[in-house]
Amino acid sequence: MRIGLVTEGGYPYVNGDARLWCDRLVRGLAQHEFDIYALSRSERQEDEGWVPLPPQVSRVRTAPLWTAEDDGVAYGRRARRRFAECYGELVAVLCAGGAADASGAPGGASATEADRFGNALYGLAELARDEGGLVGALRSEAAVRTLERACRARGALRAAREARVPDLLAVAAHLEHALRPLSLDWYEDDNLGSVDLCHAASAGSAALPGLLAHHFCGVPLLLTEYGVRLRTHYLAAPESSPAVRSLLAAFHGRLAAETYARAALVTPGNTHARRWQERCGADRAKLRTVYPGMDAARFAEVGEAPECADPDTLVWVGRVEPAKDLVSLLHAFAEVRKEEPKTRLRIVGAPSCSEGAAYLGHCKVLAAQLFPDEAEGPHTVGDNPVSFEEVGGPEIPTLADAYAAGAVAVLSSVVEGFPISLVEAMFCGRVTVSTDVGAVVEVIGGTGLVVPPRNPRALAEACVALLRDPERRERLGAAARARALELFTVEQNVAAFHGIYLEIVSRTPVRRVVLDEAGAPLPFAVPAEAHVPGRWTERSARLVARGGPSRPAGAPVRATALPATEAAR
Amino acid sequence: MSGLGGLGGLDRPEAPTSPGAWDERSGEWLVAETDVRGNGADAPPTAGQEPTATRTNGPRPAPTRRTGADPVKALIHRHRDLCERAVDPLEIAAGLEAHGLTDRTAARFLHRDVFSLAEEMYARVARDGETPSSLPPLTTPRARADWILLTLLPGALCAAAVTALHLTHGRARLIAAAAGALAVTLALRAALARGPLATPHAARSAATRTCWLFAYALLGDGLLQAAAIGGPDALPAGTADGPWPFTTAPVLALALSCAPAAWCAHLLAVRARRKLSASRALEDFATSVKPLLLGTFALYLCALTALLTLTATVLDEPTAYPQTLTLGALLLLARLLTTHGFTHAPGLVLTATVTAEATALAALLAARLPGCAWLATPVQSLIDTWGPAAIPTIACGAGALTLLLHATRTLTRASAHAPADGPC
Repeated sequence: MRIGLVTEGGYPYVNGDARLWCDRLVRGLAQHEFDIYALSRSERQEDEGWVPLPPQVSRVRTAPLWTAEDDGVAYGRRARRRFAECYGELVAVLCAGGAADASGAPGGASATEADRFGNALYGLAELARDEGGLVGALRSEAAVRTLERACRARGALRAAREARVPDLLAVAAHLEHALRPLSLDWYEDDNLGSVDLCHAASAGSAALPGLLAHHFCGVPLLLTEYGVRLRTHYLAAPESSPAVRSLLAAFHGRLAAETYARAALVTPGNTHARRWQERCGADRAKLRTVYPGMDAARFAEVGEAPECADPDTLVWVGRVEPAKDLVSLLHAFAEVRKEEPKTRLRIVGAPSCSEGAAYLGHCKVLAAQLFPDEAEGPHTVGDNPVSFEEVGGPEIPTLADAYAAGAVAVLSSVVEGFPISLVEAMFCGRVTVSTDVGAVVEVIGGTGLVVPPRNPRALAEACVALLRDPERRERLGAAARARALELFTVEQNVAAFHGIYLEIVSRTPVRRVVLDEAGAPLPFAVPAEAHVPGRWTERSARLVARGGPSRPAGAPVRATALPATEAAR
Repeated sequence: MSGLGGLGGLDRPEAPTSPGAWDERSGEWLVAETDVRGNGADAPPTAGQEPTATRTNGPRPAPTRRTGADPVKALIHRHRDLCERAVDPLEIAAGLEAHGLTDRTAARFLHRDVFSLAEEMYARVARDGETPSSLPPLTTPRARADWILLTLLPGALCAAAVTALHLTHGRARLIAAAAGALAVTLALRAALARGPLATPHAARSAATRTCWLFAYALLGDGLLQAAAIGGPDALPAGTADGPWPFTTAPVLALALSCAPAAWCAHLLAVRARRKLSASRALEDFATSVKPLLLGTFALYLCALTALLTLTATVLDEPTAYPQTLTLGALLLLARLLTTHGFTHAPGLVLTATVTAEATALAALLAARLPGCAWLATPVQSLIDTWGPAAIPTIACGAGALTLLLHATRTLTRASAHAPADGPC
């Protein structure tokens, strides 16, 4: 099969998000061909280059999201009217409220609104495909004026009615930015139109090419979301006026709902993401939770030898930042020391940013205040029971050694997405005590202790209980390792996607019409064997998707093909 | 262990059936939490709110905690900023989750999940008396030393070059003229590369056309005069008198006016940004920015007139007001439009002006060919009527007028003054 993998600011860029996951997926499914369509987030990202690509990647096309050149196409009267109609519809839906309000009361009205949004979106895409020049049109005064009219219309949100001129400009600029994928020339028969399945690695901008490929060429869309984009948008929303925030929230909500509605299947990375998707209108029947996979091999040695652990050591591993609440951990450790004076705590991790560095310094000071240095006897040099280390040092050469050092792994975060350090500890066969945040409960699933966040006393009691009971520790550690090996390995992840690919292609295959030289459809040109999974795609036949009119050559937006890998095939 | 083994435990469809905890661990938590928050939630004068003030009218679920009749109210109080700023319940849900709230916590507030808790909080926060958010106005561009100094550079170099022309003779004067022209061109380029006259758009440069217009201001009138009477017989000597005179005063005035032009553009940008923050409708903005644009333009013309008077007095040359003022107006408007992203019209108008001037010269010279004498008639009659200054005045004046009309339509649009920084 030929998979079109659409990423945004991720694979194949060296510093992309989720590149490890995509890399493992592409390498793990060598029986399929992969076309990668990458949207880059910044110039720096483009400059830093790509990761090495396996041979099953047959082509890579990239396009910048951080810049868009106006191709200088000036619309004629009809195109202008078409743009005003589509854009007007789009912003009218946004001004009428977000999908969030609509999903609460599923009914005719909300479905109509969602339909209007989708139609306006595809109308703009068709305009960009037929005429080009969408970037300029979205930046133009006509767009701002249409937006103003929609905001002042009856039935608009109150926040939208109060929009001032700077707000209108901000919203128009943001919409232009978000709709940049519409101007790409990816939706041709020799690009996304030729793949059997479009796999979007995240929602938002990356899902737009998938939506359009589905619209223009009927390619089924698979959406994988490890972090919910809509939620990220809410959290990352910059400080701006209520009008801007409500309109943008409406746009992202509508876009998410449209993506979930059009996708053949949606694979959230954990139950938390799944709940958000359901909330935004995803059909439960389409949701398949696929846990992210991790490389279990590097933890195998430690995991198979649980006896090498120091029975009196607690270990915390992760990136140091305020959300990890190390202060609470230190206070909990003080309680632990009251009960078990021989216990030591090793905090392994490096700060990720300047804020994290300041926090680490704060924690070191607190540790020095809480725990004086202590020595074994009157003639030995003392040491602090809390040690701050980093992976790669002489004592802890690898990550696995960090977990191996302790008998109990502790996670004290107040905010957590998918807790990777918890999974690593499970792979190492270490029993864990963690706070009940994010996807922790789902990951741990009864093979470790869970305490409420911001509760040092509960954390301390759980730690003491485990420290005093080596048998329970061992039992839970073994169970944790077994659970992790079953749920969180790379093989599990790849196998799940393999099955999902086959399921989608068998349920919603792309119907293509093969044309002969004269341009007439050839009946029976695609034999039934063509639908058998495996490497069967050939480039000899000229494939044209039904209903996809051809488009004049000339790329509206810079999009570069990769000649090297194309030639290598 | 956690009491919630497996995935099914996350979505708890039912509220806890008893007011107690659902396992012993959360029981400890309940007590601990109650102890911690009891002080704040119990005390009636919490931030001066009356306990019954925000009660909703609908049937309230029976309180499950021993302390605090309304736990959601305490929660709202704690996350008041979040609730007041939220534009929809999902934003509250995202914010609550970022603060570590989970569905298990939401169950303590008798809610199925964080979403329904967020919905209640969203509904209960009064938004009626909401004041219009006091957002900081759009950042206005600052006057910075680098561009201020750079805009003074062309004038200074041009003055130096003119001085050198006056002090040197013969071959040295030619070299001085060439070096001066090069230095002024480079300085102009540097001055336009940053500051309010810099263009963020990668537009096709109008440098050649601008250089031609400058060169015409320097040499064109003399050449035209000479050509009309059958010359020129020699290369320009670099002096203001002679058969092909240099008119340095207008060029010096234009080079010096680089600084006022930058200041005017800066003033326009700052004032327009302020008007942008203050206006509510696009129409309001357009009407308020039009006088500003015209005022700025007039200010620049005044500055240029003053500079021209000054340079003409100092250099003891005739003051060529009409052609210089129209040329200055044309260049300023073209640059302003380019800076705001409208590159098409200035390019066209500059090309037309350059073509008009070149055609006049070419027609005069081509008329010397046998049988082509009629070519010179219109130009000759213009020169006879108003003098050689008529050609550049008409060409630049028509161009400037066109651009002024265009600018009053385009530069009064809000999108022309949008902040350049991206939305993300």
